[in-house]
Amino acid sequence: MRLVDYLHQNARLYPDKTAAICGGDKISYRELSAKVLERSSSYRSGQVVPFRSSQSIDFLITYFAIHQAGAVAAPLEKDIPENRFKEISDILSSSKVPEGTADILYTTGTTGKSKGVMISHKTIIADAENLIEGQGFSHNLLFIISGPLNHIGSLSKIFPVTMQGATLYILEGMKDLEKFFQALDCPAQKTATFFVPATIRMLLTFSGERLSKYADKIDFIESGAAPLAHSDMLRLCEVLPKTRLYNTYASTETGIISTYNFNDGECIPGCLGRPMSHSKIIITSEGKISCQGDTLMTGYVNDPDLTTSVLKNNTIHTSDIGEIDEIGRLHLKGRETDVINVGGFKVSPSEVEDAAMSFPGLKDCICIGVPHPITGMALKLIVELDGGMRLDKPSLARHLKGKLELFKVPMLYEQAESIKRTFNGKLDRKFYNSQNI
Amino acid sequence: MKERIREILEDALPLVDLDSDFLFRELDSLGVATILMKLSEEYSIKLDAKDATPKNLKSLDSLEAMVKSKLEK
Repeated sequence: MRLVDYLHQNARLYPDKTAAICGGDKISYRELSAKVLERSSSYRSGQVVPFRSSQSIDFLITYFAIHQAGAVAAPLEKDIPENRFKEISDILSSSKVPEGTADILYTTGTTGKSKGVMISHKTIIADAENLIEGQGFSHNLLFIISGPLNHIGSLSKIFPVTMQGATLYILEGMKDLEKFFQALDCPAQKTATFFVPATIRMLLTFSGERLSKYADKIDFIESGAAPLAHSDMLRLCEVLPKTRLYNTYASTETGIISTYNFNDGECIPGCLGRPMSHSKIIITSEGKISCQGDTLMTGYVNDPDLTTSVLKNNTIHTSDIGEIDEIGRLHLKGRETDVINVGGFKVSPSEVEDAAMSFPGLKDCICIGVPHPITGMALKLIVELDGGMRLDKPSLARHLKGKLELFKVPMLYEQAESIKRTFNGKLDRKFYNSQNI
Repeated sequence: MKERIREILEDALPLVDLDSDFLFRELDSLGVATILMKLSEEYSIKLDAKDATPKNLKSLDSLEAMVKSKLEK
């Protein structure tokens, strides 16, 4: 059974149950199922369908209708620049994807440059079952999604919610925290949500006391995509003493692998729990984390070489460094990669540097990650300009916005006399990273 | 005060058009958090999520008014 088949099954079993709430709109399982069937005639089997994602019920209709038709969903950033949308659409229209592919998700992932990760229907079901078993997604749950639905962190929550016939509450980001609290006020037996660490920091900083009033109502919160500071973990346990609080090991390539409830009295930083039932973790002789099981991607679209560099013998080799303890729990010890994690979004610095190099008067530049009180890390672009020129930050930021997804546009800028390179001409990332810790 | 707020926010949020007729629309959650953080630091005032309303974050003038009302308390 595919996920969309569970949707129709739930429409028969619980026709009037609310499937999703967004803004002032609500849709029942019966209505959602009917709209999906109606829209599915717009797609044909085997077609790859790129579309701009949105935080809406319409996203769900489109996503499921594509699957219903036997086509492949490729949800892209909602603010993706038009030329990038066209570039990806052109690549996808000429790409051959294996049978059983459900989604193509664009990510920077663990290896740098942005690429399309192919996810099968089987992967979606395995992710759903992992989450149901590992975190307790249940039929009477209202799950609040605030992150972008084209990102695996949020998209993957649609899987167990749909399978269990639970209810999704879709929010357009977390900039209006009042709307998040309105969602928590929505009548439901149990409520749960997923946050990137930056959102947890924001809530604790600006609304910690208010959040504590919902201690009895929030069944669980999952955090992932970037490490959560230990001080935030402890504070969250204090604010929500009865809530299960999960740190999860997952990525677009590996799927949902393991999870750890840090509200267990121990609150171990870096602990990511035991592998879930569809997953297996192996630590290589170099100490790196490798994953096996049904949640793995099928490969990168149109890039067999890159696929084999990461996926060999049904095993994904990550650049994360980890250990398994005596009771089988994974502990993350670090990452061996240039990729910068900004509030859960992975950015390859070279992609930002390439986009910046076409800015008039820019001679050289380097993009680095610097500590930030909310996002954990923020991007900083250090630039060398032609003689006598002064950096016009807003113009450079707008230039980058025209070329990159918004989360890849640096927040901080600095002008330098020159950019330091190593003896063989490569950017000296180590030097700059050590200067900015 | 308004010019100082502009200076701080121009530095922290280079992509945001501070002269927009509805500043709140230009911001994402990080932008909102950054404004709260920067203004609380600069003016030693306590701001929380309840202050981050579309009305308070409508323009530089409304931000100035919010800071002034906090300073008076």
